[in-house]
Amino acid sequence: MLLEATKVSKAFGSFWAVAGADLTVEEGEIIGLIGPNGAGKSTFFNCLAGDTLPTGGRIMFDGKDLTRASPEVHARAGIGRTFQVPMTFEDMSVLDNVMVGAFLRHPHRNEAREHARRIVELTGLRHDQLGRSLGTPGRKRLGIARVLATEPRLLLLDEALAGLTPTELQEAIALLRKIHETGVTIVIVEHIMEVIMTLTRRVLVFNQGHVIASGRPEVVVRDEAVIEAYLGRGSRRQRE
Amino acid sequence: MKRLSSQRLGVCLLSLALLLYPIVFSSPFYRDIGVTFLLAAISASAWNIVGGYAGQVSVGHSMFFGLGAYTPLLFYTLWGWPPIAGIPVGIVLSVALSVAIGLPTFRLSGHYFSMATIAVAELIRIYFGTWTLVGAAIGLQGPATGRGWWDLTFRSELPYYYMFLAVLALVLGVTFAVERRRFGFYLSAIKASERAARSLGVPVRQTKLQALALSAAFTSTAGSLYAAKTGFIDPDSGFGILVSVQMVIIAALGGAGTLFGPLVGALILIPLQTAVNTKFGGGGSGLTFIVYGGIIVLIARFEPGGLSELWQRLAPYLQRRARAA
Repeated sequence: MLLEATKVSKAFGSFWAVAGADLTVEEGEIIGLIGPNGAGKSTFFNCLAGDTLPTGGRIMFDGKDLTRASPEVHARAGIGRTFQVPMTFEDMSVLDNVMVGAFLRHPHRNEAREHARRIVELTGLRHDQLGRSLGTPGRKRLGIARVLATEPRLLLLDEALAGLTPTELQEAIALLRKIHETGVTIVIVEHIMEVIMTLTRRVLVFNQGHVIASGRPEVVVRDEAVIEAYLGRGSRRQRE
Repeated sequence: MKRLSSQRLGVCLLSLALLLYPIVFSSPFYRDIGVTFLLAAISASAWNIVGGYAGQVSVGHSMFFGLGAYTPLLFYTLWGWPPIAGIPVGIVLSVALSVAIGLPTFRLSGHYFSMATIAVAELIRIYFGTWTLVGAAIGLQGPATGRGWWDLTFRSELPYYYMFLAVLALVLGVTFAVERRRFGFYLSAIKASERAARSLGVPVRQTKLQALALSAAFTSTAGSLYAAKTGFIDPDSGFGILVSVQMVIIAALGGAGTLFGPLVGALILIPLQTAVNTKFGGGGSGLTFIVYGGIIVLIARFEPGGLSELWQRLAPYLQRRARAA
């Protein structure tokens, strides 16, 4: 088992954004995390990446307890994440952005540069472009490239493909496939069902902080509880 | 490639100009301006490491400057040590202070960090103003005449000039090395987004502390050099807020977070300040504040990136024109 999150909870005041969520990830999987807006997916992600301290529960990664560890420790342990809104280092070039990630495992500049260069090429970006001059697709790609440079074993992608055109989407899916083939385990939060259906073998559905369904994507999308979560309780009657 | 060599040429010319300046301008007045300029450039370059590269805008760097200035003169007053022996002690004290200050204040960011640093520097200034061991409000004096070179007390400005120039070269050399290493990349990443930096495994607090400690060590050295040159220090000239503000303004004017930004800033501000002071004499002592205020307004309104960013915008245009002509 690569990642084992049990009964993870996060409360903001009296509101439980995540309430006892479980997730186990085997090495080599691609798992989709879906659910309506405000279901707690991003908060759950933040707990897994160490960005938010969970109120309760336990997060084990590769046999180590990372529940209360900082994001730096998570990165070093091998959990990488992207952000829903890409946090590009605006004044740095694409290569320099990626080098920041590469320095984690390659402390020397030349090695870090070589490693970053390979990853920039893999993601199809231009080395010398300035962070601030990138559009949304470029920023999302750069976000992936940057975290990839830290050589994660588990990659947490928070809507890394939202806001792309259909062509860009196909390219991005191909990129994720390539990354997966290199042996990186992926958990992906996504609203675009096309991505989920083509990439993942297993899907978890989040609603109100709980996992309400899980299984193969084509089965899950027909699950009554899932449809209800997205469309509301009256939906069944209306459909009949 | 061509750009790199033109940059190298610029650095060579600048070094040559700085080396020859006191020989060409041999009157004490001009040499004094040169020394003041170098000192300001050292302080601002030291500030630049944490304030510019890491984006942690400290407005309390006078605390390190003051410690560096007081320590050699205190040891001289107490035990007759040569001031040069107090410099390393000042550095050690400043680094210790930087860690003690950094641990709690780096939990704050943006303006809150700046305000916390002002508060600490002001507390130290007020405390030194009542502490009799360090001369309270009157301050401390160094040796009137040097017993040897190690007293760093010279009649001529010339030894000071070259000593300060060597220290400036050292500070810029270290900054250049920092810029190219992992440490420098981490500082830029922290400046851009702490959260993103952290997610990539950057040990943010540790890196910020290291930057502050390095910056404090150099700022302290600048303070020691100031004390050696003037042979006198009091709470205002050591820990006054104007000392901190001058570092911030010089770096921001030239371009914070760039290698030569503080140098360029000092090149403009110090002659300007001297001109204002000589024109208005003692009657215009409050004018420094007005000049600083005016510069802050101009930078904030028109060129938040400082002159180096303006230059980067203009350079391609000028090059094209030069080629066309």
